[in-house]
Amino acid sequence: MAVACFQIDRLLTPPRLALAAIGVAFPTAVLLAATKAQGGALNTDLGAILLYALVPEAVCMLGLLVTMCPVVADELERGTWVHIAVRPGGRRALLLGTWLAAVLWTGAVALLGLLLAVFAEVIEHGLILLGPFSMLVCLSCIGRAALFSLPAVIIPKRALVASVGVALVVEYLAGLIPAVVNQLTVSLRLRTLLVRFMDWRQNMPIELQLLVDDRPSWAQVGAVLILAVVFLAVAVAILEWRQFPPSEES
Amino acid sequence: MIEVSDLVKHYRASSGGIVRAVDGVSFTVNPGEMVGLLGANGAGKTTTLRMLATLLAPTSGTARVGGCDVATDPVGARRRLGYVSATTGVPDRLSAREILHSFGALHGLRGEALEARVDRLIDVLDLGKCADRPAGRLSSGQRQRVSVGRALVHDPPSLVLDEPTNALDVLGARDLLAFLADIRSSGRAILLSSHRLHEIENRCDRFVVIHGGRVVAKGTREAFVGEAGGLEEAFFAAIAGARAE
Repeated sequence: MAVACFQIDRLLTPPRLALAAIGVAFPTAVLLAATKAQGGALNTDLGAILLYALVPEAVCMLGLLVTMCPVVADELERGTWVHIAVRPGGRRALLLGTWLAAVLWTGAVALLGLLLAVFAEVIEHGLILLGPFSMLVCLSCIGRAALFSLPAVIIPKRALVASVGVALVVEYLAGLIPAVVNQLTVSLRLRTLLVRFMDWRQNMPIELQLLVDDRPSWAQVGAVLILAVVFLAVAVAILEWRQFPPSEES
Repeated sequence: MIEVSDLVKHYRASSGGIVRAVDGVSFTVNPGEMVGLLGANGAGKTTTLRMLATLLAPTSGTARVGGCDVATDPVGARRRLGYVSATTGVPDRLSAREILHSFGALHGLRGEALEARVDRLIDVLDLGKCADRPAGRLSSGQRQRVSVGRALVHDPPSLVLDEPTNALDVLGARDLLAFLADIRSSGRAILLSSHRLHEIENRCDRFVVIHGGRVVAKGTREAFVGEAGGLEEAFFAAIAGARAE
């Protein structure tokens, strides 16, 4: 908790707050542009698709890249890594505290963005999306912050680039392959939950049904939580074992 | 107590070869003793200290801190060791009190025990007037004292300092070394590296000189310095001897 508070305090700087404000306003701005093109409020289904792409995907993904990826690199650059690493449990506290801060910070930005989009009345019956999409935001943050912790501890100085690669290759490419590999992605679970919330499955072409999972919603939620625990456990184990020669600092 | 026996650390160089950063170093630091680890840049001092601090794993050999092997019981070693690095690494936005609190909490200290320990350190390190000021607004000497306080917050029996006087002026360095001499008398084993030989000449009980990853000279202050006339002369003689071999 102490590390999480410290990391959130680090995020409370004018540039980061400005970035957060952009994150909050961005989905509504895009939806407003879409309504102008349509000549009125978006119907619920189209609005849900756009909102899903903008909030649990784009805003959460970008927010987590900024907050989670520098977990080790920042400490190496600031010269604080050695002081954390020589404490019993210091490395674990750093990773889990930063993960919690990333989830809380990005989750708050995404939820505010969602609220703004819903109350801006750019989607017909937008209020019905609030509950399910809040859940998607929470799951997206929990799962993907844990996923991005892996590149952050394996290649700290290239974590951002590696995480973008992971997001594109694992989450989007592998996540769309109807095979065992997509079972290990957060995007499959979120997509399945979206389809279930919106009750779209019956009307989906058979080819598209392959892109979602058959199991019930609770299984999707459980799968994201299990994936997050596994990713974090592996990241903690790697971090405990990692060595940084003096030349790798700063 | 700190015990180092035949400690080796090899790195794989980017060219594919092996870099022998530390190559069979052995020495001990007894409770109540301050030992100076001397050597030129790249001699292997920082690598040795980082192995003791469990930041790097030895390739072979053993290093023990308070009886705990750094390779097989790193958590035990960390509990018994305070480590001060060459860079203070003090977060600018936190105050000295907050930093000591945070790191005390990482060592499992809580409640009144933590409060008492932080207050005691602020007092002995003479940080009272600036304890609640953001560290970014502290002087180099004050930041280094915060760094030392952070290393002592869990009251470790052994202390390792890597060039602790680097960023300090003459007065700051003298105060810090006097403080270290003080806490040595409470039975702590202190190992410090420094390039500023004149500062530590009269503070350390023993010296260990390493060159090219190997110990090339060691002994008590009287034995090591006495023969050469001064620490600098003794150091240069040891390095010259090692180069001649």
